[in-house]
Amino acid sequence: MKTLVRFLALIALLASLTVAVSAQGDYAEGTEISLLQWSHFVPRYDEWFDGYAADWGEANGVGVTVDHVNFTELFSTLSAEIDAGAGHSIVEVLFSPASFIDGLHDLRDINEAAAEMYGERAGTCAAASYLPVADTWYAYTHGYVPDPGDYDIALWTDAGYPDGPKTYDDLLEGGRAIYEATGIPVGIGMSPELDSRMANRAAIWSFGGSVQDEDENVVLNSEATIAAVEYLAQLQNEAMTDEVFGWTAASNNQGLIAGELSYILNSNSAYRSLQKIDEAAAANIGFTPALEGPAGAYASSHVWQIYVIPKYVEGDELAAAKQFILDHTTNYSEATYYSELYNFPCLASTVPELDGWLEEDPWGSSPPNKFEVLKTVNDWSVHLGFPGVTNPAISQVFAESVIPNMVAQVALGELSAEDAVAAAHERVEEIFNDWRARGLVGGGDM
Amino acid sequence: MASLALPSFPLDNRRVVGILFLAPALIYILLLVGFPFLLAIAFGFSDVTVGNTDLSFVGLRNFEAVWENDIFRQVFATTIRFTLISQVFILLFANILAIIFTQEFTGKWFARFIFILPWATPVSLAMIGWLWMLDTKYSPIDYLLLQTGFLGPGGHLSNDRNLFWLASPDLAQISVIFVQVWRMTPLATVILMAGLSSIPTDILDQAEVDGSRFMRTLLMIKLPLILPIMVIALLFSMITMFGDMTVVYVLTRGGPVDYTRVLGLYSFQVGIEGGNLAQGAAISLFAFPLLLAMAIFMLRAASRAEVR
Repeated sequence: MKTLVRFLALIALLASLTVAVSAQGDYAEGTEISLLQWSHFVPRYDEWFDGYAADWGEANGVGVTVDHVNFTELFSTLSAEIDAGAGHSIVEVLFSPASFIDGLHDLRDINEAAAEMYGERAGTCAAASYLPVADTWYAYTHGYVPDPGDYDIALWTDAGYPDGPKTYDDLLEGGRAIYEATGIPVGIGMSPELDSRMANRAAIWSFGGSVQDEDENVVLNSEATIAAVEYLAQLQNEAMTDEVFGWTAASNNQGLIAGELSYILNSNSAYRSLQKIDEAAAANIGFTPALEGPAGAYASSHVWQIYVIPKYVEGDELAAAKQFILDHTTNYSEATYYSELYNFPCLASTVPELDGWLEEDPWGSSPPNKFEVLKTVNDWSVHLGFPGVTNPAISQVFAESVIPNMVAQVALGELSAEDAVAAAHERVEEIFNDWRARGLVGGGDM
Repeated sequence: MASLALPSFPLDNRRVVGILFLAPALIYILLLVGFPFLLAIAFGFSDVTVGNTDLSFVGLRNFEAVWENDIFRQVFATTIRFTLISQVFILLFANILAIIFTQEFTGKWFARFIFILPWATPVSLAMIGWLWMLDTKYSPIDYLLLQTGFLGPGGHLSNDRNLFWLASPDLAQISVIFVQVWRMTPLATVILMAGLSSIPTDILDQAEVDGSRFMRTLLMIKLPLILPIMVIALLFSMITMFGDMTVVYVLTRGGPVDYTRVLGLYSFQVGIEGGNLAQGAAISLFAFPLLLAMAIFMLRAASRAEVR
């Protein structure tokens, strides 16, 4: 019986997909869609995307416009457009928009259609698009950006680590030795900004701690979190300068490019920038996967490319928007290529060339296999809510910089790790309870 | 002989003319101040999110939750502290500069032009400039201090090559206050200059004839006469600064830790970036009673000073 139900469900799904595909190019005359997305870090990607969108529009008889803004303006613009009930058909954000769920279309159909066509999506993508407590696919995540360690090969070779640090112990020992010998510090931010929020979480996860558990219960105050915070404070005191308390998201990029940081956690953005201005210096940058801690090796994805369709989009505009998203996924090889391997596909099968590109960078790295460590990225790249999902409470904890502030308080010597973690736990509980009251976070007494 | 009676014209009516003259200001206040303010109140008593702006009444829940939040209380105290400390310097510098700029000297107009620039420049652009000036690693101020032996090994200020302007808790707070003073002083100065220029010259001439010197004229005549104007300048400056988030948003994003986080920024982080529009609105509304009391007190003080 169960098999029959599954078979019928599959038939229904394929039928709806067929209808969707056959409807391609069959929109009412004058149908238009508009997209709002960030000005991509790689300008070449935007050039490709704008051309692709125009071609798609022409082929499907749909007017397509694409607006690019700074990524910091995406959430505030989406918020204003939902409130106004008018705006872009598709908005691409870089972090889970779970708190917008009530104003967004459920995109279960295209998520399931894509999975049917291209297989299982990376865990980091699914958790940034689906909210179990509401059983809703509020978004469609098409790509994510790995966040490996970037290290100065010469410095780490001199310190006895020619392949860079592999563990958090290596980072402390090697980073301290390099700092003492050369004055060049490690660069793990502890400031209220994006990269610090990611890097601090990576350490906490790898030490066995987390903000929430799989069932969305707050579990921040744990021995593992305290150990991670103590470790980070020690790392700051012994292998870093105070600059990390005042960093912006660009600071670690600038420091690595200037040769003034020995190790940072970042996307390939700092390296690609350096590659364009000094190839020899770029050749001296190596990559490591997430560092191994007592409980494993985890790092957050750097950002996610997440499409949402606000509820004010209806009719042919909605159908065309969904089709655009699916077709964009189908062409993801080009997206990955023109982003200079910045965008990784959520659906791996859409970019069969990826492993080959990682072995031989099409954008001219030296050595060509510089990015080969990223072949294992799906083993260690997780999302903000790990090991649960990225729900609205996790997003607010992220926005308030609760985690880097907790770490900085200990590194500055203002609080013990125990007190800082307990205070942060209390704030996280308040945030979770507030969203739980709205029915958008699981766990607790639910 | 019949009198010449002009036809009645609506603009002959003083009430109509008064209303017409006031209308632009009233419309502006209602649309751009009144409506958003009422909306914020409605949001504060509801459970709206960025994705759902249906107003479901939840009573005081948001205000209670905000008040129980330790970070909010710290942010509130920081906002008050920054505002008060800044005003002391703004008032001091504005008085000095207003006196200088109302004197006659060569290049006065150019000096005035340069001086007004911090106020005339868009705040976000100006802050990006300060972000570069105070960069944790590549600050030109640090570079100058390094070249003059104040920084670096054996330096008078620090052995480090940097002071970490925006990364040290103390220096970050000083930097934010300094930049606010830099930004707000021109406005206060212009207002005070207008006040000084409006003092009747016969009073000043009489004081001079009576042998009053500079300081005596300043303390006994000028400052008392411009006191109501000074209160207005202070009020403008305080209210602007209390609600500002741009300076810290660009410079520190509230860090290090929470040392420079102010109400406007926290409200934005919780309400827009965090998606919790209701609590974000509640956070911003906490400033209202304080600002209202402050405004009433200061306007009354100004009125009393004027009557005297």
